[in-house]
Amino acid sequence: MEIKNIKSTNIPAFFDQLIQSGKVVIAPVLKKSGKVFFESVKSYSQVATDYIQTGFSAKSVVFPKVEELFSFVKNEDDIEITNNLQNIPETIVWGLRPCDASAFDYLVEFFLRENPDTYFAARKEKTTLIAVSCAKADDACFCTSVGLNPGSTAGSDILLTLMGEDVYVEVNTEKGKAAVETSAALFTPSEEKSKEEYLAKLTAKFSIDEIKERIKNAYESAEWKHESMGCFGCGACAFACPTCTCFNIEDEGTQNSGKRLRCWDACGFGQFTKHASGHNPRTNQTERRRQRLMHKFKYSVENLGIVSCVGCGRCIRVCPAHLNIFENILSVTK
Amino acid sequence: MEQKNQYIPYKMRIANITEEAPLVQTYRLEFIDEKDAAQFSFRTGQFAEYGIFGEGESTFCIASPDTREGYIECTFRSTGRVTKALANCELNDIIGLRGPFGNSFPIEQWYGKNIIFVTGGIALPPLRSVIDTLLDQREKFGEITIYYGARTVNDLVYKAELEEWKNRADVNLFVTVDPGGETPEWDGLVGFVPTVLEQNPPKSDNAVAIVAGPPILIKMGMPILSKNGFADSDIYTTLENRMKCGVGKCGHCTVGKTYICKDGPVFTYEEVLKMPKEY
Amino acid sequence: MKNLQNKVAELFENGTINLMIGFKNSINKLPVPCFIEKAEQIEQLIFTPECKGNLAVYLHKPEVKQAKKVGILANVATLRSIVQLTSENQLGDIEKTIITINAQNEILVFDKMEDVEAYVQANFPTYTDEDKKLLEQLSNMTREERWQFWTEQFSACVKCYACRAVCPMCYCPQCTVECNQPQWIKVSSETTGNLEWHTMRAMHLAGRCINCGECGRICPVGIPVHLLTAKMNQDIEAEFGSKTGFSCQSGYALNTFKPEDKEQFIK
Repeated sequence: MEIKNIKSTNIPAFFDQLIQSGKVVIAPVLKKSGKVFFESVKSYSQVATDYIQTGFSAKSVVFPKVEELFSFVKNEDDIEITNNLQNIPETIVWGLRPCDASAFDYLVEFFLRENPDTYFAARKEKTTLIAVSCAKADDACFCTSVGLNPGSTAGSDILLTLMGEDVYVEVNTEKGKAAVETSAALFTPSEEKSKEEYLAKLTAKFSIDEIKERIKNAYESAEWKHESMGCFGCGACAFACPTCTCFNIEDEGTQNSGKRLRCWDACGFGQFTKHASGHNPRTNQTERRRQRLMHKFKYSVENLGIVSCVGCGRCIRVCPAHLNIFENILSVTK
Repeated sequence: MEQKNQYIPYKMRIANITEEAPLVQTYRLEFIDEKDAAQFSFRTGQFAEYGIFGEGESTFCIASPDTREGYIECTFRSTGRVTKALANCELNDIIGLRGPFGNSFPIEQWYGKNIIFVTGGIALPPLRSVIDTLLDQREKFGEITIYYGARTVNDLVYKAELEEWKNRADVNLFVTVDPGGETPEWDGLVGFVPTVLEQNPPKSDNAVAIVAGPPILIKMGMPILSKNGFADSDIYTTLENRMKCGVGKCGHCTVGKTYICKDGPVFTYEEVLKMPKEY
Repeated sequence: MKNLQNKVAELFENGTINLMIGFKNSINKLPVPCFIEKAEQIEQLIFTPECKGNLAVYLHKPEVKQAKKVGILANVATLRSIVQLTSENQLGDIEKTIITINAQNEILVFDKMEDVEAYVQANFPTYTDEDKKLLEQLSNMTREERWQFWTEQFSACVKCYACRAVCPMCYCPQCTVECNQPQWIKVSSETTGNLEWHTMRAMHLAGRCINCGECGRICPVGIPVHLLTAKMNQDIEAEFGSKTGFSCQSGYALNTFKPEDKEQFIK
């Protein structure tokens, strides 16, 4: 890891140089609705800076909401299959929060450790993650409860921390180094500094180790029904979440020509586990909501050794009923 | 390193169609590309995703034994969008195949043992793969006993194969139809599969049992096997769930931490009992 | 709030209700839905003008129906939803105790649907200023400009179906989008397919939506979905003279035939 410094007034120049380097740059943009979303931008002037968290995560860069697995055309006695994996552009994601960057670590383990996913691998390889520490947090944030913190470098290629007129730059990987190189003149070496006073203060709501232990017995908790009453079974939480990876495979077009697509799906939907015969192993919303929370705090730990919740709070903010994941977890593990 | 893209299907030609029962067909599929045929191999118990381009994919077991090369077979019932489109196919049509996926029955651990099969209706296809794999190396196994039933005579699948097994001296076959499902010509048993199992109980010494079927058969059949001395670790089953990717990523088939597609579909009853009851 | 809480406690004690659907304070100063089944949960119950959510949607939930005797804290939007649902023969399978707080801060517990109807008619809402402005902007657009507006909006839709989930009028056990033989509405999210979904939904809601605005408020990507049905309702009111969520007998404009209707084809 290298540590550098850049004047905060030089950030726009660094940013614009990244754009000049020909890569696609995805950054947070303030929309008319007042919400902030990651979008492709052409200049630093488009980038939002005064907000706590984006509406959706940046996972769509490596796991798009619709991915074309292949297209096909029937001709005579054959079917021609084509896929576009060669056309993925080099991409920089700017302005992730440390929780989001850490989520990418989970995505890498999930998609690549076993049965490596070709599409994710191709996209992740072309992606550089430049994260920005959190000076502020709101009541929905709870990263410190899941073992992270507002200045964590996990998962990012570069982490920027604003310290008054300077920006503290932690360059964590070769990709990060390459990004810094595009504007080498703007950076000076720096000694290691404490980020503490520039970071949001976030008291943990629970001890993750205790939750991981208690959740082993939570499946039969009588509290699930009460905690899930508000849940409508939409996909908002799963789609906004930086670590939700469930997807559907759908064919579009006709039998003569069309595409096979991979689209985001959500375990909250009523049809998610429904068999063609009509049998549905998870018959009600309580069971479906239980699945989501058990997966985040128990099953992903059993399978990959990682709690897949990063405490970003998006699910709480986007939920139409504002269901609160950490309140729910505390209740079912009492 | 170029890793295999698990979402691109093999192209298969439908080489043979057998009408098994109302709405149930068996397709014999051959690889269009010889290179695919040469490097494809599977183990009995594994499944595949069979696809109609433009409609989607459906999950079934590979119903032919792993001892035979050059083709694979699948048996399916026309239920939803994809199986209906599959059923509309004709000889020589091209369909897509992805696989093989999942784990397999531990055949090598069964050498010298007596093997009991308990199944019903459309659950015979996954076990037919195992049965034929064993019969292709008959001398390696002890007694082979099969309990199979369907709602009516017409609903029995693999009718020709059932005749063959009936006529083999080295196979004990109990074929039954539900009460009311018999025809005047029917010369097999009449009664639900668990009833037939109870009336002709298998011996558990040096034996393993493989059970596959609708929840009611599992619910009633398992206690009978336990009563007759079968340990939970000696009873095998093959589970089903809604599947899409087949490789443990899309999340549809999970039961607790287990992916039915990649950690299964073959499980011992001991493993099944440890899972949350959502399948 | 104490008076309200005491009232609710009383309803539990005398067995009038088994479940109370209301609001409670939550993080980020948001009132959120809460479900009270035990006495000790009553102290979190609140009902303020900030409690804008439409709780009527929960009356369709199997877990709520199971409770049979259900109390519900209703703002005007919720009351109108209940009136509209009643006119569509819904909600007959639960014993409802409907509670509101009027402008004079009085707690009203409605015994009969006629009383709910009367209250709703006396307190019939209008659009918020912001919505009025946006609706006027939309009306003043040309057809092409409106198409452009909605195409741009729906390119952001991710098909999470939160709009459908939160709507009290979307109570179909199987939604059209869940049918795959044929696949009427595409599963994937892309502009044209998204437009198809929202247009179809707006058509299913025209003359039924009571303009609570929840769908637009909760859309995770900030699309003002509620304006689509608000616009349709304006047209339906102009053409048929009917107001939604106004009367328990009115049924719904697009499936009701009257001899004085303008169209000739059915005569």
